Amino acid sequence: MRNPSYRFVAAATAFALVIMGSSCNKALPATEQLPVLTPAGSDATAGSWRMIVLTGPTQIAVPPPAAVSDPSYQAELASIKSSQANLTTEQHTAIDYWNGGGVLRWNEILRELVARADLPPAPRPDGTYPVPDPNNPFADPQFPFGNPPYAARAYSYVSVAQFEALKVAWYYKFLYKRPSPFKVDSGITPLMPDSNVPSYPSEDAVVSAVNETLLKLLFPTSVDEITQKAAEHRQSALLSGRAAASDIAAGVALGRAVAAVFAARASSDGMKAAGGTAAQWQALADAATARGETPWLSQEIPPRPPMLPFFGKVKAWMMTPTDIVNERPAAPPSTSSSQMQQELAEVKHAVENLTRDQLATVYFWADGVSTPTPPGHWNAIAMPYLSNAKFSEVRTARALALLNMALHDAAVGCWDAKYAYFNPRPSQLDPSIKTVIGLPNFPSYTSGHSTFSAAAAEVLSYLFPSGASNFDAMKEEAALSRLYGGIHYRSDIEVGKDHGKRIAGYTVRFAQQDGAD
Amino acid sequence: MKTGPRRSQWQMLASSLFLAFVCAPLYAQTIQDQIMIPRKTLFTGTVYSYDSWDHYWEGTLKRINGNIGTVTTQSVTWSGNYGITDRLDVIAMVPYVWTNTSQGVLHGQKGFQDLTLAAKFNFLEIPFTKGGRLRAIAVLSGGIPLTDYNPDFQPLSIGFASKQIATRLTLNFQANRGWFLNGSTAYTWRANVTLDRPYYFTENQLFLSNEVAMPNVFDYVVAAGYLKNGLMAQGSFWQQRTLGGGDIRRQDIPFVSNRMNFSKVGGLVMYPLPKLSGLAFRVTFGYTVDGRNVGQSTTISTGLMYTLHLEKSSRK
Repeated sequence: MRNPSYRFVAAATAFALVIMGSSCNKALPATEQLPVLTPAGSDATAGSWRMIVLTGPTQIAVPPPAAVSDPSYQAELASIKSSQANLTTEQHTAIDYWNGGGVLRWNEILRELVARADLPPAPRPDGTYPVPDPNNPFADPQFPFGNPPYAARAYSYVSVAQFEALKVAWYYKFLYKRPSPFKVDSGITPLMPDSNVPSYPSEDAVVSAVNETLLKLLFPTSVDEITQKAAEHRQSALLSGRAAASDIAAGVALGRAVAAVFAARASSDGMKAAGGTAAQWQALADAATARGETPWLSQEIPPRPPMLPFFGKVKAWMMTPTDIVNERPAAPPSTSSSQMQQELAEVKHAVENLTRDQLATVYFWADGVSTPTPPGHWNAIAMPYLSNAKFSEVRTARALALLNMALHDAAVGCWDAKYAYFNPRPSQLDPSIKTVIGLPNFPSYTSGHSTFSAAAAEVLSYLFPSGASNFDAMKEEAALSRLYGGIHYRSDIEVGKDHGKRIAGYTVRFAQQDGAD
Repeated sequence: MKTGPRRSQWQMLASSLFLAFVCAPLYAQTIQDQIMIPRKTLFTGTVYSYDSWDHYWEGTLKRINGNIGTVTTQSVTWSGNYGITDRLDVIAMVPYVWTNTSQGVLHGQKGFQDLTLAAKFNFLEIPFTKGGRLRAIAVLSGGIPLTDYNPDFQPLSIGFASKQIATRLTLNFQANRGWFLNGSTAYTWRANVTLDRPYYFTENQLFLSNEVAMPNVFDYVVAAGYLKNGLMAQGSFWQQRTLGGGDIRRQDIPFVSNRMNFSKVGGLVMYPLPKLSGLAFRVTFGYTVDGRNVGQSTTISTGLMYTLHLEKSSRK
């Protein structure tokens, strides 16, 4: 008996080892696999592109740099040379990382900050919910709750501010025309690709300072990581021979000055009042009842206050408050109408008969808690297009500013509609409807995913016409995923898509005449 | 089917089954225990298991959650255990699992979970002239998802959808009077899991991938009890440590690669049905006394196992 047993065990062990070897854990990417970004053009006229918030490039003063023959500048060059002779592995790794493009890397960092912050407060024992406190961000709940409207606003502030700051930087770069250190001194090795733009003020410093300043305000609990990344970004620009210390200092000053303008705007854009009060929440429900409709109810247990019911009053980028109201979709089907009964039945049928492919679609687009949210998902979708386009930093910043202005305005417009109608979710009207993803805690009409996705697809199709059919297909899939998930009616989706496309039209019309095309 | 020669009680007792619980794959009593199936004998049967919890550990914070209320995981598992020789058994298990919540809007899941295949080898046996005998048993097992179920809906997913391989070593002292003592320990390797989404956040990091690295798992069980004349009763203590993975963050949902640890106490009674040759009834109980990123579950399972002899001239 023994021999066959041992042979069997030996064979089984060998088989197991083969399987184990083949299923060995691979290293999983925690950062975007970005190729080295070598800008194809310098966009020398970007200093004259139309501004969005600033009055013009000279609103921020940048003093002239010292001449390249100046001893102080020569000392800066000598310092770069000695540093390059003693580069550490960490410094090489950092340079490789930032070689993917500063604007793209900061977008990636921002998506991680959003995912980290994207958690709702836990209920107190008495069934109420605490509100995250910006003055005490590390408490439970941490500040902020990076939900989709908060995230849309955050992506847009950072993207628009760095775009404005880079237009200012480009203005001064081509005014002063100071070359990069590696062009002045052949003893300095270029460790980053030549961006073919003058180096004063440093675009890397501008981008790092705008992001550092605004991200610390938006995501204060990640302050250490933000500080470290910003310092690493600037140091990489210096060590790579792309920027001298005075190029970087001027860039940091410029970036901080522009960020201050945006921080001031953010402090008075209506966000502080977006959460509303208990009396205001009740008034929204009462108004729906007065219209003869069933008002939305939180289906969380204990019931949670609605998410940012007055985000629809937050300042938009390309739309006035009147535009927001004018573009508001018409009312949804009445909660007592036969159309609503049909749409309800469609949701129930969909969620009870999901195919595996449909379930995969639901999860691909779920973008629920602990994710970069739908606006972040569309930033991620833009990444390979931006990386492959080999834009200058200012043009990459323009693309992200356009995308995220449209996404923010979509959030404002969608939230305006949601709270104007206060329409219940399918699972509220028919409690037998169960969802295959978490149920968002705000009214149903219109679908945020549909509005965001249509707005993003519209802007990305303008920027990258060759990708238009792909963006359109993704938009359709993202929108329908919410019906499959059991959380939206078809009219939420169809009307949301139309709304998002109209909202993005404001941004696209701006882009068509900002001087960059 | 029931005309086979009556076997010893010992053989019938060997039809021990599953200490099924919320974690996947459903854990097999057959894999953990000391019982070997004689040559050319098949023990097969079906076990129903009911597992529920309302308290759970969010990281190390114990809490309840109104949006799920009580989470219930039920399963029906078929198992087969065949003696190739007296010292080498092969085991197969197929569970069908369904989950639901008592509160909230989340949709329960159901489906066939993972196929487990195992080889169990009693490679050492030391008889003592007085008292009993000491045995050492090695088990090599593998698990593979039977269906393309979604592992990204914890805690309602029916499993982790991870291929895995485990090695286990069990030491058993069986006294002639019936008392026994077992110690068993295992290491489980788990393959990466693929999600339907392009990124996920865990361990304070956003991973830009649909693939999740699953930490490996270490566990041990100590059990003591009585096994004689067809009757088996045992009490056990079981600890699992997941060797990596992140905690559930405050008010976050659980994630497939979380560091899921637990300590459970359990009981088992096996009883050969009188007058029904070859049939044995089994019931188990389990309770989670401590944990991390798991529910504080109570598990009850019950089943019938049937002994089938595939060789006319039985060996002793």
